[in-house]
Amino acid sequence: MTVTEQPGQPGKRPLVLALPKGRVLAQAVARLREAGLPVDLTSGERAMRHESAAATVLLMRNADVPAYVDLGVADAGVVGRDVLLESGSRLYVPVDLGVGVCRIALIRPLGATGPLRRVASKYPRITAAYLARNAIPAEVIALTGNVELACVSGLADAVVDVVETGATLAANDLAEVDVIATSSARLVVNRAAMKLKAEALRPLIARLRTFPRS
Amino acid sequence: MTLTLADGTSFLAPADAAGREAAIEALRGLYREWGYQRIEVPALERLDESRPRSGKSFKLVDRDGGVLALRSDFTPALANYVRTNHPAVAAGAAVPLRLSYDGLVWHAIDPELARGREFTQVGIELVGVSNARADAELIHLARESVRLMGLTPRVEVGNPAFVSRLFDAAEVSAEARLALADAIDRKDTSDVLALVARYGLRGKVADALVAVPDLYGDAAVIEQARELAPDGPSAEAVERLAGVVEEFEDPSELMLDFGLARRLSYYTGVTFRVYTFDFGQPLLGGGRYDGALLPRAAGFALGLGRLLAAANGAARQQAAEAELVVSLDDAGARRLRLEGYRVARALVADPNAARAEAVAMGARYLHSGGGLLDLRDGAAGGEEDGGASGDDDGDSSGGDGD
Repeated sequence: MTVTEQPGQPGKRPLVLALPKGRVLAQAVARLREAGLPVDLTSGERAMRHESAAATVLLMRNADVPAYVDLGVADAGVVGRDVLLESGSRLYVPVDLGVGVCRIALIRPLGATGPLRRVASKYPRITAAYLARNAIPAEVIALTGNVELACVSGLADAVVDVVETGATLAANDLAEVDVIATSSARLVVNRAAMKLKAEALRPLIARLRTFPRS
Repeated sequence: MTLTLADGTSFLAPADAAGREAAIEALRGLYREWGYQRIEVPALERLDESRPRSGKSFKLVDRDGGVLALRSDFTPALANYVRTNHPAVAAGAAVPLRLSYDGLVWHAIDPELARGREFTQVGIELVGVSNARADAELIHLARESVRLMGLTPRVEVGNPAFVSRLFDAAEVSAEARLALADAIDRKDTSDVLALVARYGLRGKVADALVAVPDLYGDAAVIEQARELAPDGPSAEAVERLAGVVEEFEDPSELMLDFGLARRLSYYTGVTFRVYTFDFGQPLLGGGRYDGALLPRAAGFALGLGRLLAAANGAARQQAAEAELVVSLDDAGARRLRLEGYRVARALVADPNAARAEAVAMGARYLHSGGGLLDLRDGAAGGEEDGGASGDDDGDSSGGDGD
């Protein structure tokens, strides 16, 4: 397989995939392999780029996946619906991979009933949209770290964050007050690649949709 | 000194500016050959909130307190031009009017990665006619515009009217339309399924809504769309796209997609985007917007910067620059310019200083009363052979300057 063609001309090049480091990675790779794409991550733990005949894999932070796929540096990627909602991206989202399932919830200290004045979150856009939808005139504080701390310490009256099992919440005397959205890992595809690399992507999408979820 | 450029704006160095100029000239030529007439419209407009994309405009306050906007899109300005200068066409007369334009537009958006706020758009509008032949002409010219830059085009063509007619058939609310259109346009089948269930849709129209995101590919999808169409109006939308495809002798560069559902309130008919290989963003987009700004109109706009980025400087290489001469002799300079040289006047009278100036400017030759001195290998200052071209009476560079 050659990669020396002129840019802007047709040619056969392997797929480039943007995959998120972390918990979902192993499950995503397993789903891709089941679907017949033998992605290979054996170049070592620290490598950022893994090349094989089937696909080149770029490893990155979850939140960076939409930018790589949107700009076409990667043809496709795997990313949580939470990140897609937050980025407001217009990428194609043809498959729900059914892994990394969680919900995005409004969280408050147990028994809190006062008005919402400040809400902290790693998801400022989702939070602002939720508050606007419910006509709550609260301030949004964008944080990057452990947002539960904002609630426990009194920085904010509530936080918006992902909840998987709820164990962290219970341990900190926090309660899920409202579920804003559900999330799971999705296959995202660049708009140009969906059409120009349909030969490789179409069958992959079809198999990812039919294979039983783990 | 700090960088004082406004966010999302940039300088163009001479080579890039030349590449851009050559590309604009080539595109203007293409449209002119096809009978399009170039017009110019003001960059400063009265703010009109009803215009599509007016939310993206930079606003300014006029002397009387009225709000002005910097042009954020050419199409409304061209529609305004048609209303003013061709009132019969604006009122619905079936007279084809072909217009082209190019110039800067400004978008007051967050300057995201790779998206400028000031950029050059080039485009055409075909007004007064709404049929498959007109749609096909625009798609053909869109394709040729990309080819002109040395790129191989692939055109995504759809008819958002199909999705709109499915919504009509499903009799869903305005809110449901927006949510479904968004999910369909992102080919998010799991979202579409969830929405179809939430709004209690059933039967053939529900099946069509769930299937439409995957209704893309070659001409074979037309047959699938025919089978899925639940009623007459949706079947009509399929036939319009089929009619456009029939206009092409070789439809292999067309990629059909019945799932295109962006800006449904604006685009009423066949829409298209042009892509090329190894460039993940669309180079050009357009479509039919009958009834939105004019009774019958369609067109497209391309972002010149993006097109040139995709062409990877191909245009720049085509425009091989003439050699630069620095001259101490104004009369001789005029003659050299007629011969095709680029000639800058030396701004110092002393021949040695002029030579230093020429070297600093990266000039190829120094011209004095007698002839041309080739500076390529003589930058160190040695006296070399004089006239590199034409002039035979080559005095040495020292010449009789002042």
